Amino acid sequence: MSTVIRGRAHVLGDDINTDLHCSSKYLPGKDNAYIAQHAFEQLVPDFPARFKAGDVIVAGKNFGINSSREQAVHIMRAMGVAAIVAASFGRQFFRNCINNGLPVVECDITGIDQGDEIEVDVGTGRVAVPQRKIARTVAALPAEVQAILAAGGLIAFLQKHPDWTLERVSSDR
Amino acid sequence: MGSTIAEKILGHHAGGKTVGAGDVVVAEVDFAMLHDARAGNALKMVEKLGAGQLPFASRTAFVLDHYSPPPHPEAANTHRAMREFADAHGAVLYDVGDGICHQVLPEGGHFTCGDVVVGTDTHSTTYGAFNAFGCGIEGTDLSAVMMTGKLWFRVPETISVELKGQLQPGVWAKDVTLTLLGRLGAEGANYRAIEYRGSAVAAMDVDDRMTLANHAAELGAKAALLEADEKTFAWLKARGARPPRPVAADADARYCERIDIDASRLAPQVARRHRIDDVVSVTEVEKQKIQFALVGTCTNGRLDDLRQAAAILKGKRIAKGVRMIVTPASRQVWLAAAREGIVEALTAAGASVEAAGCGTCVNITGHLITGDDDVVISSANRNFKGRLGNAKSDIWLGSAATVAASALTGFITDPREVAGGTWRSERAAA
Repeated sequence: MSTVIRGRAHVLGDDINTDLHCSSKYLPGKDNAYIAQHAFEQLVPDFPARFKAGDVIVAGKNFGINSSREQAVHIMRAMGVAAIVAASFGRQFFRNCINNGLPVVECDITGIDQGDEIEVDVGTGRVAVPQRKIARTVAALPAEVQAILAAGGLIAFLQKHPDWTLERVSSDR
Repeated sequence: MGSTIAEKILGHHAGGKTVGAGDVVVAEVDFAMLHDARAGNALKMVEKLGAGQLPFASRTAFVLDHYSPPPHPEAANTHRAMREFADAHGAVLYDVGDGICHQVLPEGGHFTCGDVVVGTDTHSTTYGAFNAFGCGIEGTDLSAVMMTGKLWFRVPETISVELKGQLQPGVWAKDVTLTLLGRLGAEGANYRAIEYRGSAVAAMDVDDRMTLANHAAELGAKAALLEADEKTFAWLKARGARPPRPVAADADARYCERIDIDASRLAPQVARRHRIDDVVSVTEVEKQKIQFALVGTCTNGRLDDLRQAAAILKGKRIAKGVRMIVTPASRQVWLAAAREGIVEALTAAGASVEAAGCGTCVNITGHLITGDDDVVISSANRNFKGRLGNAKSDIWLGSAATVAASALTGFITDPREVAGGTWRSERAAA
């Protein structure tokens, strides 16, 4: 199974709080469709209009810090975010992405620009922007995490493997 | 190579394996917690998982603490759904007014030393005060635990923080954490566990140790672990917890960073408005006027915090123009404070003592609305702009003693400069 994702990069800055920019924590009563239409617009005004399904979010350090509502990841999945590449992630946000089948890669993002065609391979741990001759190797996600991602998230994984056959899956590789 | 506390606890719970930082393990969970602010999402995830049987429900507490009391019908309906779900599946229920999740879980004797405890809240690190691996999770995680009793974890690297010497009277665990936040920055321990050790930790009572473990969440810590001692064992035994399985780090454990702090040199600290890591000594900002003083929350709403406030305010009156709210962390804390005359002393001094709950930590219930340019001094854990509902007001953070001393004078005040401000518990002083 190929694990390579190709998409257009949308660049965001450091310390992005997804509770603030992609959840209803501060917009009580608003549904996911409404929030998706306004996601990250306070940071990049035309972000929701420009973002197309299959695109990749590229961000600086601590993407998704603080209490990190899982809803942010549900909304990003609904927006069609194919992967997120960031210098680092908030811990709970990283978990939420894995649990909801959204590939996340921790990687130096220097030189990656808005609109670049980016390739992300979570299986081998590779991030590349061929047009800029950027090719970076990062730690591949552990096989256990890849198994959850491949299933489409933790719930789908447990529906197939209710006894957490995760380790056996990893030793088969 | 030896192991850290986090490596040992997660290894024990992953079938007795030896594990190291960076490994991903599937570990047995001993107890889980869901609070009302995350229940909507979590119960949806349980439904999505389609689990008919939830064998772990009897080891899961549902805690109605954030929307306490519920400010709108949606919150009241969430509470209703949680009560019905808990009743149908046999989960443990803590209702409105019983207290904050991180207080009622240990008080209820639901876990012991060496356990893995997860909760839908970043401050689940609190359980580390009892030598348990306490860790924040989200709704999908909780649904997995309720169905299978297990969860995946990445084993964290650990920072060792040694507090040498002794804290001076008037200086508390809150001041230690604020000092660390000033040094490491918010999220400075992101992904990592912290082990707290040293003579000043050994001298702390359980209430202050809980502050230390709880407030590590602001450092971004995944878990904050203390070694267990006789104080830990006696506290847990008195609350009916299972026999402890204490876990100590090996002498040759591998730490990603070691920080030594001379506790005897620390002074009361405050985090200035908007940033949890903009930390200065109280004495540097004593001209700062305040309009609101808050004692409470999962960080500093315990009996020793209320005792600090009462030691300063008993027989006095808070400054004119200051509103003070005190929210005990739990019903048990409230009752103990009433028995000791603390509720009376604080109420007579001009404070409003509220029912137990998350209180005025964040503007959820709407019962603390600040005006433009108002300044709040709070014993809470976060001071983000607008957290109390008005982005034009400022929130500063300090210990309960600093909050009470400031309420007394109307300005941010070092508790050591007012009578009663150097109160410390008898056991810690002994």
